[in-house]
Amino acid sequence: MSAHTLRRLIIVFLVILWEALPRLGLIPELFLPSLSSTLAAGWNEAAEYGHALMITLYEVAISMVLACGGGILGGAVVGSLPRLRSLMMPIVSSLYAIPLVILYPVFNVWFGIGSESKIAFASIYGFLPTMLGTAAGIQTIDPQLLTAARSMGATLPQRLIHVIIPAAIPTVLAGLRIGGALVIVGVVVSEMLISSAGIGYLISRYRTILDSPHVFAGVLLVLALTIAFSAGVRWVERRASIWQTGTRGGQSDGEVSATALPFAA
Amino acid sequence: MQPLANITPLTPATNSGSIKISNVGQVFTTSSQTVVALEDVSLEVKPGRFVVLVGPSGCGKSTLLMMMAGLRQQTSGSVLIDGRPITRPDPDRVGVVFQEASLFPWLTAEENVEFPLMLRGTPKTERRAKSQDALKLVGLDGFGKRHPHELSGGMKQRVSIARGLVQNPPVLLMDEPFAALDEQTRMTMGDELLRIWAATEKTVVFVTHSLTEAVYLADEVLVMSARPGRIVDRLQVMLPRPRTYDMLSGDAFSSLRDRIWQHIRKSA
Repeated sequence: MSAHTLRRLIIVFLVILWEALPRLGLIPELFLPSLSSTLAAGWNEAAEYGHALMITLYEVAISMVLACGGGILGGAVVGSLPRLRSLMMPIVSSLYAIPLVILYPVFNVWFGIGSESKIAFASIYGFLPTMLGTAAGIQTIDPQLLTAARSMGATLPQRLIHVIIPAAIPTVLAGLRIGGALVIVGVVVSEMLISSAGIGYLISRYRTILDSPHVFAGVLLVLALTIAFSAGVRWVERRASIWQTGTRGGQSDGEVSATALPFAA
Repeated sequence: MQPLANITPLTPATNSGSIKISNVGQVFTTSSQTVVALEDVSLEVKPGRFVVLVGPSGCGKSTLLMMMAGLRQQTSGSVLIDGRPITRPDPDRVGVVFQEASLFPWLTAEENVEFPLMLRGTPKTERRAKSQDALKLVGLDGFGKRHPHELSGGMKQRVSIARGLVQNPPVLLMDEPFAALDEQTRMTMGDELLRIWAATEKTVVFVTHSLTEAVYLADEVLVMSARPGRIVDRLQVMLPRPRTYDMLSGDAFSSLRDRIWQHIRKSA
């Protein structure tokens, strides 16, 4: 049996367990409502969930543009200027280790409890790994390739377009994958903390009234969002770089751990 | 025998591939010290000759080559190719072949070969025609759609040579092009290079660490000393062409190789 079919079977098995265990009374519905009651809860409040999803998607989209756009731009500048790199990288790397969620209350004070504070938080959260990834990607370009291009008469702009950018694409995409996943984490987590709308808000609100089916319906939506995101990244990866020589094996592990974070937080 | 018709014709008389280097020096200044990498190097290469530069590591032979390629400026002296100074890369006069891994991995073999033509805006159909001819010349007909990672080390270097020749420059500079190859491939590539050289009548300047390779390929071997780099000997290799494998064990071959080795041992 191939790994692919096996993986499908495991998912099917888990889905069946999800339905069966609560129904058989092995797990109380409060801890794990059955899949059908979760879906029913979501369906009954479809308008509410749809509205929340729109808000979350809006926040994710803007944060994604800020985090990834800013991260790639910043990373490209920092990566190609050695002086700036030696100045900035230690600062950025140590910032990366700080649990940025401690800044969220500050953002609340600055930007209020609406979308602005979520966007600010998620953008910074996703910006750092994208920037670090891009800077590393620019830095690791084989200087031999640039020398070769120069020997063929390539001007600086030509070297940028035809050598530096294509050479950096795989590393930049790896940074985007992590940065983008963190943007989703950032938006959902901040919605769960202090807010008035969004999927994270719904999850948190239903949790306070112990309405498990509605909590799990929200969780399912976030799950769907991250799966859609990673499918999107894979599509971009396939289009943008042809030269991936089978080095991207266990990438799905990373996705799982990233999507698991909102529930842990 | 070789379909070179579109590669070789029309080399203008002014671009015949003569190299004249006069009193070239190169000094590096770092914050703590001044290093003389090259000192008073002069040499002349007649059009169509195959010249090999050898010397101990760090003697500046690659630096000298990079000057001829216009990739580095000398501190003093002059580098003339076809009577005109080289101050920056000029793909019309000089093609360069580097060590392995200088192909762009995201481009196919033919796109790699077309890269210098693409840079100057040559139309696509003309580009494709020229790259096909160049690939044919290096024996890679039919491999144009492969990416570098789908090619062996020797084939990659054939692509590099095709890329160096695609604009039909009179001079081909080669910086240890076969250093990363295994021994058998290296020998085969040496023969291939000599075949291509004979067919295209380019002036070749070739840098290597291998004394056997130097003597096997060259019309003339220039031996350089360790820092500061200077040319300490010039050997004319009078072995007949085409060169064959059994010459390697002949007395003429061994005595030339020994003479180079004496120089290198002295300066190491």
